[in-house]
Amino acid sequence: MGELSLLLKGTLKVMSVTLRNFFRPATTVAYPQVKRPIPAQWRGGGFALTYDPATGEENCIGCRLCEYICPSQIIAVTLRKGEARQNGKGATYAGSFLLDYQACMQCELCVQVCPTDAIVMTRELAPATTSRQALFFTMERLFDEGKKLLRDPGLESHATASRLQAWTDAKRGQEDPQ
Amino acid sequence: MELLRTLVLSVAVLGTAMTIVAYLTWIERKVAARFHNRVGPYYVGWPHGWLQPLADVLKLIIKEDLRPRRADALLYELAPVLVVVPALFGFALLPLAPGLAVLDHPYSLLLFLAVGSLALLGIFAAGWGSHNAYALLSALRSVAIAVSYEIPMILALLVPALLAGSFRLDDLVQRQTGGAWFIFAPVLGQVSFVVFLLAMLAEANKSPLDVVEAESELIAGYNTEYSGVKFALFYAGEYAHTLALCGLAATVFLGGYLGPAFLPGPVWLVLKSLALFVLVLWIRWSFLRVRIDQVLRLNWRFLFPLALANLLLAAFFAVRTR
Amino acid sequence: MAEAPLQVVERDFGELAMHMGPQHPSTHGVLRLTLRLRGETVVAADPGIGFLHRGVEKLSESLGWEQLAPVYERDDYVAPTFNSLGFCVAAERLGGIQVPRRGAWLRTLTAELTRIASHLVWLGTWGLDLGGALGGGTTLYMYCFREREKILDWLEAHTGTRFHTNVNLIGGARYDLTPELARSARVLMNGIEAAIPELWGMSGDSSILRDRTRGIGVISPELAQAVGVTGPVLRGSGIAFDVRQAAPYDAYPELQFDVPVRREGDAFARFQVRMEEILQSVRLVRQILDGLPRGPIFTRRPLKNPKASKLPAGEAYAAVESARGELGFYLVSDGSWRPYRLKIHAPSFANLQVIPHVAPGLLVADLVALLGSLDPVLGDVDR
Repeated sequence: MGELSLLLKGTLKVMSVTLRNFFRPATTVAYPQVKRPIPAQWRGGGFALTYDPATGEENCIGCRLCEYICPSQIIAVTLRKGEARQNGKGATYAGSFLLDYQACMQCELCVQVCPTDAIVMTRELAPATTSRQALFFTMERLFDEGKKLLRDPGLESHATASRLQAWTDAKRGQEDPQ
Repeated sequence: MELLRTLVLSVAVLGTAMTIVAYLTWIERKVAARFHNRVGPYYVGWPHGWLQPLADVLKLIIKEDLRPRRADALLYELAPVLVVVPALFGFALLPLAPGLAVLDHPYSLLLFLAVGSLALLGIFAAGWGSHNAYALLSALRSVAIAVSYEIPMILALLVPALLAGSFRLDDLVQRQTGGAWFIFAPVLGQVSFVVFLLAMLAEANKSPLDVVEAESELIAGYNTEYSGVKFALFYAGEYAHTLALCGLAATVFLGGYLGPAFLPGPVWLVLKSLALFVLVLWIRWSFLRVRIDQVLRLNWRFLFPLALANLLLAAFFAVRTR
Repeated sequence: MAEAPLQVVERDFGELAMHMGPQHPSTHGVLRLTLRLRGETVVAADPGIGFLHRGVEKLSESLGWEQLAPVYERDDYVAPTFNSLGFCVAAERLGGIQVPRRGAWLRTLTAELTRIASHLVWLGTWGLDLGGALGGGTTLYMYCFREREKILDWLEAHTGTRFHTNVNLIGGARYDLTPELARSARVLMNGIEAAIPELWGMSGDSSILRDRTRGIGVISPELAQAVGVTGPVLRGSGIAFDVRQAAPYDAYPELQFDVPVRREGDAFARFQVRMEEILQSVRLVRQILDGLPRGPIFTRRPLKNPKASKLPAGEAYAAVESARGELGFYLVSDGSWRPYRLKIHAPSFANLQVIPHVAPGLLVADLVALLGSLDPVLGDVDR
């Protein structure tokens, strides 16, 4: 008899849970009519090579640190020497820059090592294309994305090299409130 | 003249029934989505997805018609038909108005159950003929369950037949006029209904008693090797079978076509069947699956004695009030 | 083309040999179980693995220390943070690196959140296994994932990605916590705690689940120790071993929590252990939020060329308590910028080895319940 009442109670409990949920609003977001807001710090988008907003010069100095750090080894950079920059960041530029997005795991290590905040991720959804060629990000495309960031700084992920390095600075002070 | 009338009526009834069956899939998906805090079909027939059944049927029709090389050709091809036809036959037996049914037989209740159990042959043919270990397991389970659960189902349905003194479905409905639906009969009505509901869940392969096509264990059970139109027939057949049983329950327990006059009789029958269908959905989407041996134990140690006791009580009552 | 006549093979014992093959809705990944059945009863079950082997341990010999942490998150892809955490703790032990307190606490925070998310996946998929894709199992699955989405949304706000968060670096954490994030984390924990009774109502209160999991797949303590199972499977068999308390790391020495243990050793006991662990993780997260120390979160020089950052020669082993059990990293270094050898002790691999001992006598449906209660993740098993 006890088992029967247990069975009955369990049955009623389960059915009451589902009935209660029947009247709750749906948690589904009607994408693509409604888009979820992308947080400030976003690693799921495309890449961009940035320009200095003050002087309009390319930030990338072709140092290849991003190429060395990438665990998936998808970045290939060559260095070329050029005119000295006005912002004092030297006279080297990226001669070629190729990023194969197909194998990118969005770990942001390349963003973190960049000494000049050149490579950043963008706050948009990862590019969906119909051809593999379009997923090989060439230098032209990356610098075009960088120009878009000049016009719309909100498109840049909050995590740039400076911010990431600042967060992981071993000498960070005690003033940080929790 | 009789033949023409029957023909027209059968076309009308089967056409309506199959349309409702097609939209049962839509109802199921929308109700399930509501239980899951989701939206369900949305884009096809925006914004409520009401064209989804059409899209599904079209998709299934244009698929490749497969047959595994080592499948038994006759059984494999025949199985879907054997599953669908008994359900359609059930629709033909349900009374739509006093004296109006596609087939108005003095033993229509028994005929419904007898022909309905032919669906088991279809399921077993599919399971055996597919030459697939999972399908075979599912077929073995289905034989065990269908044979076992028919007994309490029949016993539960014998009670209203006993009290009405007839096996004709129309007589059973006529005995429920004036709001005296059989489900309100003290003790007998409720117990019979609960027994019939559980037996119906097992016969129609609905959770929690859906071991026959337990997707997580047996892929898709007896219809693992089926695709295209044959799969569509299985799919539709399952819903048709459920709707037919819901229609039977509505007829026997909930007064069939009886209801206030602002809606015609057949509409009441459909509404009651749909209400029962939504109840089945609620049960289905709430419970986990009962294991095969527990399903059989539930039948033989709980449902069968209960149904038997119920029948004896009904017999006692019938004798006393005679 | 003439058809080959059907061969009738008579087996002496009337057994059916079946693969619960690599493609199956309930094998939690690409696991092949070679079954011998007699009717519905399992006579023998043999797990066949390796379908998801990606050679991570070999890959580790060609990537540098700094590059490797994100790679391991793909091993146990349901609870990713633990993999990189184990690697970082082992490398820190190798190099004698002391992680700053705040960094350690933040790493523990994401670890516990990942544990809750992983257990929610386990519960939802177990519901699917037990209840099927067209029934109450799906409902339980949807409810679990609805709660898990909130955790993933929080991780997205914190780190930028929902899942493979890459917060663990050798030497600390990578992203810091802002006051808004701390506030939303508290709200998140309240939500999770409020949802547990509902999930319990759909699963634990249901007599169907009890009937299907009580007495199923009983692992005796002797068998558990002989085979080497870990995690909730071990604690469900009565052995109170949790790496967080046996060999604590990061913030665990300073935090209070209970380790749930059950003695029955069946699937229901493992279920209870994991549900209780969710509540203990909520408690841990709240303690971390309340007592988060100030200070830096990372203790080495900034990340630069990986070839320039070496760890001293030697070997080290460190284990973390992943959602699945003891996840151990054994590192051998020859003093260069990349590991010489890296071996991962995967908890799911150990847990799977118990199947041939426990499966005989179960029905097929019970086998599915057993697999779900062991909670293997094939990425973890095969690496």
